[in-house]
Amino acid sequence: MSDKKTYVDRRLPTGDSLLKQLWQDPLGRAGFLGILFILLLALFAPIIARYDVAQINSKARLAAPSGTYWFGTDNFGRDIFSRIVYGAQVSLLVGVVSVSIAAGIGYLFGLAAGFFEGKVESTIMMLMDIIFAFPSILLALLIVAVLGTSIVNTMIAIGIVNIPVFARTVRASVKAVKGTDYIANARSVGLKNSVILFRHITPNSLAPFTVQATLALSSAILTEATMSFLGLGIQPPNPSWGSMLSEARTYMEMAPWMVVFPALFIIFTILSFNILGDALRDALDPKLKL
Amino acid sequence: MKRILSLVLALLMALSLTATAQEPMVLKYGTDAEPIGFDPHTVPALASTRIMLQMYETLVDVDENMNVVPLLAETWEQPDDLTYIFHLRKGVKFHSGREMKAEDVKYSFERILNPDLGALGNSASYAGYIEKVEVLDEYSVKFTLKQINAPFLSALASSYLSIVDKEAVEAAGGNLLQSSGGTGPFVLGEWVPDNSVTVHRFEDYWQEGVKFERIEFYVITDPSARMSALRTGEVDLIVGDSAMLSLAEKAKNVEIYKVRSRNYTTLCLNLNKEELKDVRVRQAISLALNRQEIIDLAFNGEAEISGFAPASMGHWAVDVLEHPLYQQDVEKAKELMKEAGYENGFTLTCTVGLLDSIRNSGTVIQQQLAAIGINVDVQNKENAQYVDDWKTHNFDLMVCQNGAGTDPNRAVAFFFSTTGSANIAEYSNPRVDELCELAAGTTNVDQRREYYHEAINIILDECPNVTFASPYDYIYASTDLKGYAPTASNMVNFRFAYIEK
Amino acid sequence: MKNYIIRRVLMLIPILLGISIAIFLIMQLIPGDVVSGILGIEETPELRAMWEKKLGIDKPLVTQYFNWISGVVRGDFGESFRTGAKVFPEILWRFSISAELAILACIVAWIIAFPLGILSALKRNSFIDRIVRVAALLGVSVPGFAFATLLILFLALVFGYYPPIKYVSLMQNPLKNLEIMILPAIVLGSSMAGSVMRMTRSSMLEVLRQDFIKAVRAKGAPERITIMRHAFRNASIPIVTLVGMQIGILMGGTVVIEQIFSIPGLGQYLLTGIFQRDFPIVQGTVLFMATIYVIINLLVDILYTYIDPRITYS
Repeated sequence: MSDKKTYVDRRLPTGDSLLKQLWQDPLGRAGFLGILFILLLALFAPIIARYDVAQINSKARLAAPSGTYWFGTDNFGRDIFSRIVYGAQVSLLVGVVSVSIAAGIGYLFGLAAGFFEGKVESTIMMLMDIIFAFPSILLALLIVAVLGTSIVNTMIAIGIVNIPVFARTVRASVKAVKGTDYIANARSVGLKNSVILFRHITPNSLAPFTVQATLALSSAILTEATMSFLGLGIQPPNPSWGSMLSEARTYMEMAPWMVVFPALFIIFTILSFNILGDALRDALDPKLKL
Repeated sequence: MKRILSLVLALLMALSLTATAQEPMVLKYGTDAEPIGFDPHTVPALASTRIMLQMYETLVDVDENMNVVPLLAETWEQPDDLTYIFHLRKGVKFHSGREMKAEDVKYSFERILNPDLGALGNSASYAGYIEKVEVLDEYSVKFTLKQINAPFLSALASSYLSIVDKEAVEAAGGNLLQSSGGTGPFVLGEWVPDNSVTVHRFEDYWQEGVKFERIEFYVITDPSARMSALRTGEVDLIVGDSAMLSLAEKAKNVEIYKVRSRNYTTLCLNLNKEELKDVRVRQAISLALNRQEIIDLAFNGEAEISGFAPASMGHWAVDVLEHPLYQQDVEKAKELMKEAGYENGFTLTCTVGLLDSIRNSGTVIQQQLAAIGINVDVQNKENAQYVDDWKTHNFDLMVCQNGAGTDPNRAVAFFFSTTGSANIAEYSNPRVDELCELAAGTTNVDQRREYYHEAINIILDECPNVTFASPYDYIYASTDLKGYAPTASNMVNFRFAYIEK
Repeated sequence: MKNYIIRRVLMLIPILLGISIAIFLIMQLIPGDVVSGILGIEETPELRAMWEKKLGIDKPLVTQYFNWISGVVRGDFGESFRTGAKVFPEILWRFSISAELAILACIVAWIIAFPLGILSALKRNSFIDRIVRVAALLGVSVPGFAFATLLILFLALVFGYYPPIKYVSLMQNPLKNLEIMILPAIVLGSSMAGSVMRMTRSSMLEVLRQDFIKAVRAKGAPERITIMRHAFRNASIPIVTLVGMQIGILMGGTVVIEQIFSIPGLGQYLLTGIFQRDFPIVQGTVLFMATIYVIINLLVDILYTYIDPRITYS
């Protein structure tokens, strides 16, 4: 008798029930609402923002928060509130696009490695190991240095750096599912590889994948901020929160509002993603259900 | 028991004695970048120069009025236009303890001119005109030039032409990157990479009165951390940042030293670009700029409106404040654009580097040029890329910070003559070339000034670049630091400085 | 098992070779070179040619690569283009500093994370649990450079304190060394604490559910002993491996913090190398970091088999 593991259905609960489960967890709810807030901010930026984000004004330089400038102005006399609002667009875009790049490529690599095994697997995983062995922030810097500084290149760099995490996650869950009777049965009834891959294995590896994606979003935003600090992040005059924060460091004492607001929004957004990821992991992890 | 007691007492006394004994005087200097070695002939980085200036000296020096004054050479004569004879100061010792003699001067220049070293001084701006160096006697050395070169004397003051100890170079295996073989007041000590460099007083230094026992240079790249270190007394002196000026003014124990620099920030135009070939477009760009606004926003107000021969060059400078192209006039600029056929404007890229003032200038210029229909796409480049683009002339507009040097030959011919090696605009005007040659070919100061002023005015009218600011250099120091007087030629002269609490 | 280890070690060779080629090519692709950096505005074609010859970058790429890699195999990583200093001894020296910082940061992270993780697991789904989890995640959510600059400014303004500025090694002066390292360790540690806390919490939850804990409890052992001696000990296995991985990641992740606190670590060395296009430094450091990373990975995998006999490699 083979001692095949019993099949645990780790498919995502249907959207409806997962949302319900998240909503019942106060932390999940908080994370969800936090992200929704930032998303709305980004979406309605043109309506919410009060001034042109690029408009410099030497007369209103380093003005403290007031009725005119809710969050004060920066060293160019630009309205920080408006820049924060538009910055939500930039930061979310960087997060979403770079994670999509990482997730998309990582997913295909992980799927292929987990399913085909042998040479394919060892080659892919070696490639992943090579990427993973570079310190991530420095690899991202190197990639931007090669490609040149621009928003798109920043997103590509952060994307590439995050590929291995996804590839590993997907590979692991593919292997876990593969060893089960469920797939063996699918094979025995003569289903093609591609059908097995996409119809059966994919849904089953989505859960850990979703968690990973949520967490990667937060780390992507953080990486962009750090790259800005090192001078190679999103470039001015684009108002990314990371570049605002790193530009503000010099004025920390003279104009604390320049630091406080971008910092608050970065922390708030990353925290929301982290909390949501945490709650998702709880919701999706059957082991933690008592 | 008694014995132990007396022993303890003696120990205590010894301890208290060492505590009251006068501590050696130390200067702690918070700098902004890591040095990259200390060979004066091959290392140009400011972070290194700051330290090398403590260790090496040159034949002559340039004072704040740009006059050439004696240093290692006590006197000199010029029998004809091509010959200079220097009489060396006697009793000057190298750090090895050996006396510096004519042989060493000869060796130093041969080292610089040796093609295998790739010395920075081995170019037309510095020692490139030297035909040969001969030793006349122990303390006299004769330089013969290939052609008349008026800037020669002031070029000798450049640290790239420092006098080095032949034996020290050989002992160090051919380079001085990590050792010191000069005649300066301090000797290289410990170098902790990315943290600190210590130099110790050279006891046999030829000038009296050096008070510091050692100077410790610390790398603190973050300007706000540097300011914190100064205010808490952890360092005595820091490289200032204009953004920190208001804090420095407020701090009770901080003295501010403000120096007019010989640097200027400029918008370089690439004259190969179709639109920029038209002088009217270039003039329109100059008219569109509000230079004071750039200074207020990008330099925290701490710079003066300047041309490419800044005021710190003394009598060589040309006052640009009244120059018609320096007065912002958007309407006139639009007219010029219209005359040139660009009524509807066009798009240009503008390359900027990592330096805050350069990057921020780009942001302001972008806004100002929009008013005359020029749509500027700012491209931020990482440092090495920026230098690469500069070198290959790969830009439409580029914000640059240039050094005007100690002689107008540098400020004018190096950047604007057709063959000048820093002529990145690829500007070419036969009259400017002629004037540069005439000026280099005479040692009559008044005559030279006349030539250069004519050249400078032509260039100002034709706008191969649009210069806007000459920033001030700032040093913030503890009020305990006395006897320190930085100048544009030497910001780091601590020869007669001391600390008094 | 033995075969497995040998096979894994052999697998390291192509990985490291791949990394060495990758980093070599990346450096070639980056625009701008070390000569531009050295000469700056003084560059002339003659001077450039002299420097290219002197540094050996005028040779064909393949020759350059083989010269470098054959040196590496013999333990000679070459010399810095800029300062002429030997790269390998400097890597080792800086590694010792970065490793110390990483270990201290881990200790800080443990001090924050273990008690909070245990507390959070015991009070699962309570108000305290949620506060603790959010607090732990907060540490991960703050950009390190902002925290570091703020910390320095705060200490200077409120207490007139600035950490000792001259670096001394642990051997020279342990107390002073710790004083230098403690602030950066706190900044780094607080950013690591989140994931350690998370791991502690979930492994504790898992262990607490198991039968033997129920048995210990049933025997009437005091709760404190149950938790510390039995539950936490069993839960600590995955936590320790996580920590092992983090030390590896920290090797490069400290760069920004090193820069702000003027600590001459490995990340700082690599960063300067990248900005100055100092190829021997970049190539050598990346290869070294990768080797350390790969070895830690291998050790963790092997360790697993000892900790958990159910895992076997063949």
